[in-house]
Amino acid sequence: MKTATPTGIELAENRRDASWKIIILLFVLLIIFIFSFALGRYPVAPGELLRVLIAQVVPLEATWNDTVETVIFQVRLPRIFAAILVGAALSAAGAAYQGMFKNPLVSPDILGASAGAGFGAALGIFLSFSMVGIQLMAFAGGLLAVGLTYAISVRIRHDPMLALVLSGIMIGSLFTAAISCIKYIADPYDKLPAITFWLMGSLASISQRDVYMVLAPILLGGILLYLLRWRLNVMAMGEEEARVLGINTTLMKTIVIGCCTLMTAAAVSISGMIGWVGLVIPHLARMIVGPNYQALLPASILLGGAYLLLVDNLARLLASMELPLGILTALIGVPFFLYLLLNSKWGWK
Amino acid sequence: MELELRNLSCGYGQHRVIDNISFTINTREVIGLLGANGCGKTTLIKTILGLLPVHGGEVLLDGENIKYWSSAQIARVVGYIPQMHTPPFPFQVLDVVLMGRTAHIKPFASPAKKDIKIAERVLEMLGISYLRNRIYTEISGGERQLVLIARALAQEPKILIMDEPTASLDFGNQVKVLSQVNQLASLDMAVLMSCHFPEHAFIYSSRVVLLNEGKILHSGLPGESITSERLKTLYGVDVDIVTVKNRMNQNLQVCIPSWGLVESDENLVESEKEYALA
Repeated sequence: MKTATPTGIELAENRRDASWKIIILLFVLLIIFIFSFALGRYPVAPGELLRVLIAQVVPLEATWNDTVETVIFQVRLPRIFAAILVGAALSAAGAAYQGMFKNPLVSPDILGASAGAGFGAALGIFLSFSMVGIQLMAFAGGLLAVGLTYAISVRIRHDPMLALVLSGIMIGSLFTAAISCIKYIADPYDKLPAITFWLMGSLASISQRDVYMVLAPILLGGILLYLLRWRLNVMAMGEEEARVLGINTTLMKTIVIGCCTLMTAAAVSISGMIGWVGLVIPHLARMIVGPNYQALLPASILLGGAYLLLVDNLARLLASMELPLGILTALIGVPFFLYLLLNSKWGWK
Repeated sequence: MELELRNLSCGYGQHRVIDNISFTINTREVIGLLGANGCGKTTLIKTILGLLPVHGGEVLLDGENIKYWSSAQIARVVGYIPQMHTPPFPFQVLDVVLMGRTAHIKPFASPAKKDIKIAERVLEMLGISYLRNRIYTEISGGERQLVLIARALAQEPKILIMDEPTASLDFGNQVKVLSQVNQLASLDMAVLMSCHFPEHAFIYSSRVVLLNEGKILHSGLPGESITSERLKTLYGVDVDIVTVKNRMNQNLQVCIPSWGLVESDENLVESEKEYALA
């Protein structure tokens, strides 16, 4: 056993280490961000891309045609922002849910939030609601599902970790059945394809307006979670201990679950149901920067944004027609999560 | 600082566990709370911490009822050391200790340099500075319990409450943790500690409270209060209390139970005969 007292330098190194890793993650996201503009059906040369981007800040002589600018700013930009926002929102929500329920196995999908939000949004589409209406429905559905999941889990007197996962799966199935029910009665020529395609998860039809719509709820939830990042650590020790350490746990829980569900619902309302991001990314982030939310939350946000942007690029390019994003995230997420489970020393203990 | 329980009754929901008890703890006192499983020790502790509602009577800190205090207000005065446990995430030891500073930190803020200094000082005081950068879930049970003590001390409380802090520890770790508890009394704090070994109460406490079926059976100095008869009432077993010297020439009171003789009177008679013959 080591008996020598470590110096303050060692500690400072640990914290600086995490900061460096976060800066590197930020650069990774930036590189993928810039690179993503050049990818797609319509070819844009790297030099041309750079000039178009620079021209937004410094006036340059236009050597490109208008189509290039339209492709970059009307088609690709909203989609890139949407991918980053959705990925970041789902990952941040997943990370916070995991601490809140002190359970490394929960995520927006497993708690039923995604299915609930999906049900709300499907109902919104079915009833021909506006975009705002669909979002509100998604939020209400998500909150209802998480509320039910939690209410049931505290009444199961067994392993609380398992109880939460099981009741989440049950509530998720219930809402999935309700979605099927809506699909069954929906107009097969108009509403049904819209709901079905939307449920598979895709960012193909994102417009600038959609991005603006979800920006506010995702930023609001994300900023609040970020401000509460130290308290998320304390909550991860369990509710009773958090209270004894001086946290108003009822208020804290309401705020955090509200934020997570708001972010999930906002993401689901523009992208459909994209699974596994909220479970896998927080684990990956924990492997890189450790479990302290001061570093974990920003790392999850950056990594989630970068990951979904990367996967969305794949969805655009892999096949001659667009692949639904939700299918790809599951295809990548499941094997990766299995790998984590088998090497669980890294993710949690 | 003085913690006073005045005619306190409490329990879970409608079920009353503690019935009308009163006692007072003052700074520099260590009170040992003794009683069988289910006698209400943990219920009492949770009520003092504000985790369970008061059914009747009052919990007073320096004469002030804590009923309407916020959790942060209570946490700045009362520190709590739970039984050793394993959280699901591999936090660093220093981060666990820093969690003790939460009640002193603004809601949206994170620990500052000042808080890290306090955490370091506490780790040093308990002689576990070497654990600072280790992973909390990977250190031994005894070390984890010491880290939880450090976390409570980082709260800078006036009153320290422990719920069977040695419950899940092996023999060596029990001794190590109890030795530390002994020293805590010399800090300006009042300590309330529940314990499942009456022997331990002799070692650390200046006063004991014997709790039986939700009522106080007796309270007073450990040497006078812990007797064979009272232990029989509390635990339902026959115990001899013997004073022995250890190799450091310290006087220790040891509780020696009569093994296997609790149920059958016939055996008891037999063994008493043998005892008489010998």
